[in-house]
Amino acid sequence: MMNAIDVHMLIRLIIAVVAAMAWVGINALVLVYCERKFAGHIQRRPGPFEVGPHGILQPLADGLKLMGKQLFRPAGADAFLFWLAPMLSLLPVLLLFLPIPYGPMLTAMNVSLGILLILAFSSLNVLALLLAGWSSNNKWGILGAARAVSQSVAYEIPLLLSVLAVTFMTGSFNLSAISTSQGAWPWQWNLMAQPLAFFIYLVSAFGETNRAPFDLAEAESELTAGFHTEYSSMGFGLFFMAEYAYMVVVCSVCTVLFLGGFRGPVADGWWWFLAKTYALLFLMIWVRWTYPRVRFDQLLNINWKWLLPLAVFNLLATAFVMKL
Amino acid sequence: MGLKVLQGVETLCVARCDPAKTGQHWSVFLAPQAIVPAAAALSAAQYSLEDILALDTTDGLLVVYHFNAWRFDERIALKVLLPREDPAIPSITSVFQGAQWHERETRDFHGIVFEGHPNLIPLLMPAEDVDVHPLLKADKARRAIRDIMDAGEIVSCTGEIAALFAPPADTSADAARTDGGSKA
Amino acid sequence: MKRQYAGTDPLAGDFYTRQFEKDRGEHTLVVNMGPQHPSTHGVLRIVIEIDGEYILRADPVLGYLHRMQEKMGEVQTWGQYIPNMGRVDYGHPLAWNWAYVGAVEKLMGIQVPERAEYIRVITCELNRLTSHLLWWGAYILDLGAFTPIMYSFDDREMLLDILQRPTASRLTYGYFRVGGVRKDLDDRCIEMIKAFIPRFRSRLPMYKDLVTDNIILRKRVEDIGIIDRDMCRRYGCSGPVLRGAGEPYDLRRCEPYSIYDRFDFEIPTEETACSAGRYLVRMAEMEQSLRIIEQAVEGLAHAEGGHIMPKAPKPSMKPPKGEAYFAVEGARGKVGVYAVSEGKKVPYRIKLRSPSYSNLHAFAEAAQGTLLADAVATLGSLDLIIPEIDR
Repeated sequence: MMNAIDVHMLIRLIIAVVAAMAWVGINALVLVYCERKFAGHIQRRPGPFEVGPHGILQPLADGLKLMGKQLFRPAGADAFLFWLAPMLSLLPVLLLFLPIPYGPMLTAMNVSLGILLILAFSSLNVLALLLAGWSSNNKWGILGAARAVSQSVAYEIPLLLSVLAVTFMTGSFNLSAISTSQGAWPWQWNLMAQPLAFFIYLVSAFGETNRAPFDLAEAESELTAGFHTEYSSMGFGLFFMAEYAYMVVVCSVCTVLFLGGFRGPVADGWWWFLAKTYALLFLMIWVRWTYPRVRFDQLLNINWKWLLPLAVFNLLATAFVMKL
Repeated sequence: MGLKVLQGVETLCVARCDPAKTGQHWSVFLAPQAIVPAAAALSAAQYSLEDILALDTTDGLLVVYHFNAWRFDERIALKVLLPREDPAIPSITSVFQGAQWHERETRDFHGIVFEGHPNLIPLLMPAEDVDVHPLLKADKARRAIRDIMDAGEIVSCTGEIAALFAPPADTSADAARTDGGSKA
Repeated sequence: MKRQYAGTDPLAGDFYTRQFEKDRGEHTLVVNMGPQHPSTHGVLRIVIEIDGEYILRADPVLGYLHRMQEKMGEVQTWGQYIPNMGRVDYGHPLAWNWAYVGAVEKLMGIQVPERAEYIRVITCELNRLTSHLLWWGAYILDLGAFTPIMYSFDDREMLLDILQRPTASRLTYGYFRVGGVRKDLDDRCIEMIKAFIPRFRSRLPMYKDLVTDNIILRKRVEDIGIIDRDMCRRYGCSGPVLRGAGEPYDLRRCEPYSIYDRFDFEIPTEETACSAGRYLVRMAEMEQSLRIIEQAVEGLAHAEGGHIMPKAPKPSMKPPKGEAYFAVEGARGKVGVYAVSEGKKVPYRIKLRSPSYSNLHAFAEAAQGTLLADAVATLGSLDLIIPEIDR
């Protein structure tokens, strides 16, 4: 009897992971296209236009080109760690998609501690960046890795605290439960109850995903390319996909926590979830193509001097209000 | 009226130039050891260094320093004549740090040694071509100082420098010099 | 002497690295920034010693784009050398055109017709705008914002279209001739300039809103890379670097050449001596350039003479013997040409005094003790054009 359930669970898990892989792949393609097109229009140019109608096949062509490149490892690099790093960057990200509720019945694994699972596994990414920078025997890589670690460690704390504030309100770590606890209309979302937590989460999300203006780990005008300076072909491609996958995860979680998840006016469903997630993704893209990069000490100052105290204050205030 | 800034500095020849024709207001010949005091005097008077260059002439290597003031329109050219065999001159980097690169460049191009320069290594030329000096002229192409510049309106001058600008004696052995000089 | 420079261990870095590592401290990292680095804008190489991300020492290594322009001057005729001037500095080539042609004109005692002077002023100022726009876009790119360069190139494109008509090229102009310019500005060109001025005026406030007033940008450039007046004097810095340190030194006013004394314009200065000061000076200079162009286009309508003097010297001209120094205000500072003639078809010596050369030299001192990111911000604020430094 127990065996049957285990097998059932295993099959379900495998299907879910495969689906997550497909989802990551598709998302990367769509997002790359969106980002380039969106950036193009921000910059008063049409963006990709040559491959396919309106350049819609451009990401595929880019992917093919990337795969066709030579895999190259510099002399003196630690071969094992060098190749482990990109895989370590992408693989945990697949697990992150499992507990996310895309629709009322559309959750791969309805785990009761879903949000903790996501936070725990997403921390593995920083290890990948550190290994990549360290193992490639490149001075820029080391500088990038050092930046990545201190940045990720710093920004994880306010991120966690802002998430905790929401879970205080709903009393659950289950993402489906958090979704359903919110109403369909925007004023019934957690965003209204927790605007400060939403803001802190969003800023920390930029820091966590190494997106501009916090893309210091790979700041190409300072560190050439930071931790992935020496990576070519799909070594770089995996980092690239992981970055986009993390963006999707971060925005999905934000949607669930603050924007009502799949809840929405008229009819609940995955369409609301996708619309909200992509709206957040567009916000990230928009910011990237508008703002200059902050300096590293400023980045840490923003975190330790502003976000962290604010997050702690917000958490205490939430706890106090909930207790009342 | 002489050049007030350089009072107290031993000059060999001070001449006023026509800025409309040469773009310079003063042309001053110095002995090599006088260049550092001269630069210090100019620095004290808030002049800034424009450039350092060298000219390859039959009389030797002529190092030219251009100084310029910000608040009034005046350009002073300090000129130091060095022997071709051992072209060495004190460095003025202690006064004008900006001279470092100019002096390294002049060493690259003409092989002039600036004594006291903190880091006289090749700047523009590759390090392996340290003994190649591209702007040294071939013997045939080299001209005398009098054939390439005017003395200007001389205020004070020693005989040695005046002789450089004096017309060549008719008995001069190197006839090659005259074909370039005064034709134009 | 050769032995001293000869390398022993090919793996221990090149000559300049070894030279630099002599004074290296413990627990520090020597990093080569460049010659292939995104923010050195070309093939500049800077050897830096860093402790964490703090720069202890920096030493620029030049020569990767060295073409020995001065030697080329000694083997070409006076006329043949003009195109070289377009290649010394691709940012503001017309200033170099002018400096060289002006030096030759001084040697020959030539008076340029009034109309030619107006054309020179207009094209040179338009070229200054293209140079400042190029710097602006690239500088913001250094600071991590990708979009502004597209906006600045949008405007720069219009300027290049205008300049293309008389000069027949878009980047490396060889437009000036001894005694005038190569081609007159036609009516269409004047129309385009007149249409451009109000358009660009309307764009400048947008640049200010989008970029200059951005808090992140302000925090990145303010009080970064101090090059004060005394440093400028010791290193011979000029142009916006010097004006950003509060010294109103502009050759267009302080050593007036051509017809600049006829125009009404200001010399913007900033007292801060930091990257932000240099940034603001350049932004203000664009407005002043527009003012000059406006007045010059007006003056061009009733200027006397042709675009080039009658019986202008041929490329095989023979300037009389003598020396001449002519300096103009380029986009980066004082562009000077020192020409020595022996009265032949070929120059005896051409010395090019480039502003970036002296400006970059001050960088090593300004970068000491700053963060790596600040060094990038300082380097960009100097507006370097590498071919001009290496010549």
